[in-house]
Amino acid sequence: MNFAEHLKRSAMLGLGISTLITLSLSTWIFRAEESDLRLQQRQRLAVMHANSIALAVANTNPDETGKRVRQIQKLEPRIESVIIVGGMQLVASTRAEDAAPRQLKHDEKALFDLSNQIRSARETNRGEDIVRKKTIQIEENPVGHIVVTVPYLSNGQFEGILQMKFNMTGSDISGPAIFNPAPDSFTLPLLFLLASVLAGALFRMSPERKVDFTKFFALGVFLLIALLFQNQRLDRLKQSMAQADQAIAANYLTAAEQYDRLGFLALPRDDTSANLWDTDHYQRPLGLIAKNGSILTGTQAAYFDKRSGFLKRILGAADLLGVIVLLFFLYGYAARTYAALKEHADAYTYVAPAMIGMLVLVFFPFVYGIALSFTDTTLFNEFLPFQDRLIGWANFKAILGDFNLYEHTANGIIWNYQNFYWTLLVTVAWTISNVTIGVSVGFLLAMALNTEGLRGKAIYRVILILPWAIPNYISALVWRGMFHPQFGVINQVLQMFGMQPVAWFDGVFSSFLTGVATNGWLSFPFMMVVILGALQSIPKPMYEAAEVEGANAWQRLRYITLPLLKPTLIPAIVLSVVWTFNMFNIIFLVSGGEPGGANEILITKAYKIAFENYQYAYAAAYSTVIFMILLVYGVFQTRITKATESF
Amino acid sequence: MADIKTKNHVLLHVALISFTLLAIYPVLWVLALAFSGQQSVGLIDLPKDPSFLERFRGILPVPAHWSVKNFVEVWTEQDFGRWMWNSVVVSLMTTVLGVFLACTAAYAFSRFRFPGRNVGMLMFLISQMFPGTLMLIPLFIIIVKWLGLGNTYTGLVIVYATTAIPFCVWMLKGYFDTIPYDIEESALIDGASRLTIFWRIILPLAKPAIAITALFSFMTAWNEFILASIFMESEANYTAPVGLRFFVGGFSSQWGYFAAGSVIISLPVVALFLQLQKYLISGLTAGSIK
Repeated sequence: MNFAEHLKRSAMLGLGISTLITLSLSTWIFRAEESDLRLQQRQRLAVMHANSIALAVANTNPDETGKRVRQIQKLEPRIESVIIVGGMQLVASTRAEDAAPRQLKHDEKALFDLSNQIRSARETNRGEDIVRKKTIQIEENPVGHIVVTVPYLSNGQFEGILQMKFNMTGSDISGPAIFNPAPDSFTLPLLFLLASVLAGALFRMSPERKVDFTKFFALGVFLLIALLFQNQRLDRLKQSMAQADQAIAANYLTAAEQYDRLGFLALPRDDTSANLWDTDHYQRPLGLIAKNGSILTGTQAAYFDKRSGFLKRILGAADLLGVIVLLFFLYGYAARTYAALKEHADAYTYVAPAMIGMLVLVFFPFVYGIALSFTDTTLFNEFLPFQDRLIGWANFKAILGDFNLYEHTANGIIWNYQNFYWTLLVTVAWTISNVTIGVSVGFLLAMALNTEGLRGKAIYRVILILPWAIPNYISALVWRGMFHPQFGVINQVLQMFGMQPVAWFDGVFSSFLTGVATNGWLSFPFMMVVILGALQSIPKPMYEAAEVEGANAWQRLRYITLPLLKPTLIPAIVLSVVWTFNMFNIIFLVSGGEPGGANEILITKAYKIAFENYQYAYAAAYSTVIFMILLVYGVFQTRITKATESF
Repeated sequence: MADIKTKNHVLLHVALISFTLLAIYPVLWVLALAFSGQQSVGLIDLPKDPSFLERFRGILPVPAHWSVKNFVEVWTEQDFGRWMWNSVVVSLMTTVLGVFLACTAAYAFSRFRFPGRNVGMLMFLISQMFPGTLMLIPLFIIIVKWLGLGNTYTGLVIVYATTAIPFCVWMLKGYFDTIPYDIEESALIDGASRLTIFWRIILPLAKPAIAITALFSFMTAWNEFILASIFMESEANYTAPVGLRFFVGGFSSQWGYFAAGSVIISLPVVALFLQLQKYLISGLTAGSIK
């Protein structure tokens, strides 16, 4: 049996490959989840300690605060240092060299800013009655060195912040890790894989038969193996998470007993309500551990369900992928693909390099960009796992759903230049005016150069084509220089005729004009050359006949030239609309969208959102909207072109 | 009758000459600035209350003093030489890689009928519609963060070459289609392999089209500055376009260096463009519309 025949008959390869794909994907997903949880639980422990200190010093005087902070730091070796900042004061510090209490130094301004940031986050959350801004700040760099900042309250009033440095590296101080699932073993997945390959070897398919139950069996075996494996791993995850809760509870009990002994305010140990030390980043109790240190199993199960819900969806996608691959094999597509690959090996070899390049550097970035637009990725959170950044359609809602285009004030209407629809309006105005100028100037010049018996045509043509030949970013910068408000040539000319110089980039309309002038200058040669070519291909006898019939110059233009130009002109216009719509260089380099972003077009706006505001995801969503607009235009224009062709 | 025609032409010439002067004024202005030997954006220093004539002298694209100082200094005192070298290397590597990728793919699309051919060609077309800014961030992540090719020639070259592929493939395919299949058939019968045919017969016959592909790939790399400014972080690795913007962007205003640099960068592309524009126009209109 040759290989193609084997592919057709046996389910072995199909089952093997689909199982391999799904099992590896699942393993990879669990690994990502585990590393995410490891970080989360590590930081949870740090937050618990920070919260406990903040509670222990909440209602004391500054001297007592300093004393208590130092005592706690001595008890727990993982706490490297604690400082408390209130207003401009360093209230307490465990480091002797800080010499607290004292005024903050100039280079400690960051602490003051952080304190203000957390204060305003608290106020926002209180004002809106929902939690929106994090009141606990966590930094972890490098791994294991965690810096937690929590609000420092005194008698219920916000006084400042408490910042704790927590060190979880080194075996002597970290103790047993908080979240510690067993390392991956390959025995189980290998066994599963072997089972699926063996099962596949047993199944003989018969493509001739209409209903072939072997396919159902193969599918059943695959799903059974995939689900068994995933469930086993989910159970393990659940156990590890429960162990993490227990470890945190043990840590809590140790610390709480020590606090009791020192006479600090510890939590009542006979209470089964949610523990106030163990909170999320908004200082809401997680509810996984009670005040008496017992595990609250109800919330624990709910928390696991919430956490695993998303995981299950991704695992489902991995299963689906496996099923698709399996069906691809079972229904003989693999055999056919193999046959095609073998038959057209030459062709695929020739196409492969370009195709791979395009897939990796054009299509993958495109898909990745669209995926990015459904997240809230910025420069500052891009290291987070992808699933934590997903926010759904929010970016698109923010872009398309913001109709706050202008507002009425005492001084009249003020336009909101940052609004998407304003930028869209500018882009449309920009495209229409540029294409109109390009086509009309190009048309006039082409008509002039097409005059019979005109001398020096070739020279005119070469000179007039120059603006197109020069790299457009250079032209843009040159025009920027010519529009210079003080020394620019254009203002010199205005002054030559007794007019006032214009501050070109300060006015919305004048700034728009600079772009149009530059782009008009750049784009007429293309139109001129295209139209000239078309004009030269119109047969002369047509005009002569029309002249004999008594048609005047306008009628000849209207009934001969224009209709015959249409097949050339329409594609050229379509093309130049897309070019102008996406003409990044001119706006970016000439006016830079001044004043205040009023003259930004969509594409330059997207660039600035990405590389000046670092809102990567928002910029990706913005660009996706641009793509959709172009796509609609593309479909629309093919229809129009087809309609005009049929005349 | 003849009188009227000549008269009309005189008017036409006047109109054309004035428009042409207007159209090449920016070019002349840059040339004047480049040869002026100074850095300011104005060509001459105007007196405090200039008269009409003095102002007119100010806008004439003729420098107050002719000098090649800007050209000399841009090479010797600025990093421009290094940036030009970067641009030359990147552009040439892009050309080689781009032509190789485009030739092989276009040959397959033109000569073979294989499953996926139409989808592949359509994909190439659609990719032309992707907005640059959507690709910018993912490309930055892939090239700089994942592959670690920031600040290298390779990173820029592979991106430029792939960006140029679709246009080049469509144009080359159109040209390969016009080469009669009989030639290959007889070579096949004589026992030549596909590779020999491609290398010895097709490529030599398609020289003009390959020249255009090369020009297009070269210009893609030579004129690009957005990707280059994002990928190349250190000043020593700037390409010439990024460097030019460095002279007059932001708060610096070294217009003399900018002008001299512009002239040096533009000369080769303008010369090539004027030589090959006929083909480029037909390629543009054929490749992107049909």
